[in-house]
Amino acid sequence: MFLQPFFEWCDRLAMSEAYRESLYLFAVTQSLHLLAVTVFIGAILIVDLRLLGWGPVGQSRAAIARSAQRILLWAGLAILVTGIPQFTTNALSSYSRSPVFALKMFLLAIALVFTATLRRWVALADDGRLPSWVPRAVGAVSIALWLSVAISGRMISFYG
Amino acid sequence: MPAIVPALEWLKELAWTTAIRESAWGQPIIQTAHVASIVTFAGLVIVMDLRLVGLAFTEAPLTQIQQRLFPWQMAWLVPSMVTGLLLGCLDPPRYYGNVLFRVKLVLLVLAGLNALIFHLRTSRTVGRWDEDPRLTATAWRAGAVSLVLWSAIIVTGRLVAYNWFN
Repeated sequence: MFLQPFFEWCDRLAMSEAYRESLYLFAVTQSLHLLAVTVFIGAILIVDLRLLGWGPVGQSRAAIARSAQRILLWAGLAILVTGIPQFTTNALSSYSRSPVFALKMFLLAIALVFTATLRRWVALADDGRLPSWVPRAVGAVSIALWLSVAISGRMISFYG
Repeated sequence: MPAIVPALEWLKELAWTTAIRESAWGQPIIQTAHVASIVTFAGLVIVMDLRLVGLAFTEAPLTQIQQRLFPWQMAWLVPSMVTGLLLGCLDPPRYYGNVLFRVKLVLLVLAGLNALIFHLRTSRTVGRWDEDPRLTATAWRAGAVSLVLWSAIIVTGRLVAYNWFN
């Protein structure tokens, strides 16, 4: 596979070596990853509930979305920082052969693009400018996408 | 040996707990459902806490964020507790002996008490929440305590899988 040299490079990193040798490092990183994911999902859901017309409806969709965006960026950064060492440590030995990991990355790519484009545009549009089914549909798709990313993420360690 | 241990062994040997424990997909599916519902529940609790401590959604009145998220938090608390109890029944002696599991249970009780106290106060004074600065200070404390507790519950919950310190 054309990515094989990349997986081997990840595997040789000093960081990956340190993670393999430590009893606690991987587990602690995994827990912090889960915590960051929880915060991220919370910030996704408050906006999606508002898009569905069920969340804090006294506020405009845009006001809720703008405040949530800061949480998303910080939590997303924490997810990345705690996700990278998990990847480099396991890339060669398991993730490169795991269909669940591939599925998670595929769903993640779709969810990220959807969130940065259509969802962002709909959430920041003035209330009343769009027919009400549009934000509702976007909120429902967003919840489904992000929960499927989280679920496939948890399944990696059962499968690989 | 504490008196509870035979009861835990009995639970573990029941036909249905044994069947789920020994099936290939039973435990992974319940565990995934547990994680998915906790992430949803605790995520909504944490965004509410961030409002309580004034770090996010500050344009929205505190009461509104709290009241409009509360039903959704409760809706997701139910599946997280059901799947958690179910997981516990599959192998009770293992969890009983796990130090981090005990820590997690204590933290859960503390988080429950914190939420209960907050709700009892809120229900008495809800009309004045958004103006009275003393109540805002109470809300800040409840939010900060909740943030710390739920973060610790998620971290210890994940670490229970590792059976350290046994």
